[in-house]
Amino acid sequence: MRVVLAAASTLALAAAPTSAFAVEYLSAEQAAKLMFPDADAFEPRTVTLDAAQLQQLEAQGVRGRSANWSVRIARQGGAALGYVVTDEVIGKVELISYAVGVALDGSIKQIEILAYRESHGFEVRLPAWRRQFVGKNAGSALRVGEDIANISGATLSCTHVTEGVRRIVAVVGLARRVGALPS
Amino acid sequence: MFGTLIEIGIATVDPAAPQASHDAAFATLAALQACLSRFEDDSDIARFNALPAGASLTVRPDTRAVLTAADELRQASAGLFDISVGSGPDAWCLDGDRLHKLDDRVRLDLGGIGKGYAVDCAVQLLVDRRIDTGWVNAGGDLRVFGDIDLPIHVRDESAGGVRPFATLHDGAFATSRFGAHARAQLATGRGSPAPLAHVSVAAPRCLWADALTKIVAISGDVAHPLLARHGAQAWQH
Repeated sequence: MRVVLAAASTLALAAAPTSAFAVEYLSAEQAAKLMFPDADAFEPRTVTLDAAQLQQLEAQGVRGRSANWSVRIARQGGAALGYVVTDEVIGKVELISYAVGVALDGSIKQIEILAYRESHGFEVRLPAWRRQFVGKNAGSALRVGEDIANISGATLSCTHVTEGVRRIVAVVGLARRVGALPS
Repeated sequence: MFGTLIEIGIATVDPAAPQASHDAAFATLAALQACLSRFEDDSDIARFNALPAGASLTVRPDTRAVLTAADELRQASAGLFDISVGSGPDAWCLDGDRLHKLDDRVRLDLGGIGKGYAVDCAVQLLVDRRIDTGWVNAGGDLRVFGDIDLPIHVRDESAGGVRPFATLHDGAFATSRFGAHARAQLATGRGSPAPLAHVSVAAPRCLWADALTKIVAISGDVAHPLLARHGAQAWQH
């Protein structure tokens, strides 16, 4: 028998109960491969939105937040298969890292939580919750309580991840329309 | 099964082996549940509970093995380990394969030890079937064998969430939560109440990991002498 305590456990044992809590489930690369298993390359690209484009997003009811977005374009033999955008939103007080896979037609292919750092609200990782996003696009409401169900006890995580996904879908849509991403 | 979800993981090079072994392991677990669970009318334990004082019954070999271990723990822990859950710690006695009931009120419950034994049996079956590497997890009573370091995450029952705790190689691991509303609290009926805590025990065999979590929690002693006797280690967290 051999037991090797995780670093977090030794820390927790030494310093009595602690709420420190951080789990990295996937790297951005792993998530991208998971979402587009057929892709043979992921081209990194930074999409920069100008002031007018940010206003356009605002008009769609999406706060643009950031002008620069890093997107991975999934490619197979040079042809684009879709996009993977990684982002972070605040859960309650800590950041949740997540990735959104968007198909070439602008619909959501997959959502993955990359890292979660809080003791509560981890239920956003549940596959059933994340599956609700699949197939939705910029025309969908993408709001908790409308087309996305809340999880009791994880309201803030659900709301913030959903807002983040709505923003990403809108940004990808806009970038495709203006030719900043292949479509 | 056993009031929980059971997971069996098998790693082997022979593609035909896993399904048959998997099914056989589940069949073993089902047979054990039928003889150990107090909720199965025909189990040895349910039949014992229905007996009047002074009567006895012949128990099956698996029941005997679990009761023998429970008896050893009862004696070695001065009654802290109590499968009668307070209904009569000394009102049962095992004589060979005869289980005697000494008091009408005594009711046995192998909830604190039976799952661990069942996991050991399932692992033994897989090893006998030449499965090199795998694990059996009965709702957190876990045993892993072969060349694998299995990561263990512990769920925080009071605050929610899970956190990585350790990796385990060739051994067993069990965690219990104890506190004001935990059943083990009722079982002791003595001493000061244990503080709210999770207790984890790693041991070579799952029966001891499962049972020793109760002894550590009730005694509050993560260095309880019984741990060393069974090659176990405990953590309160």
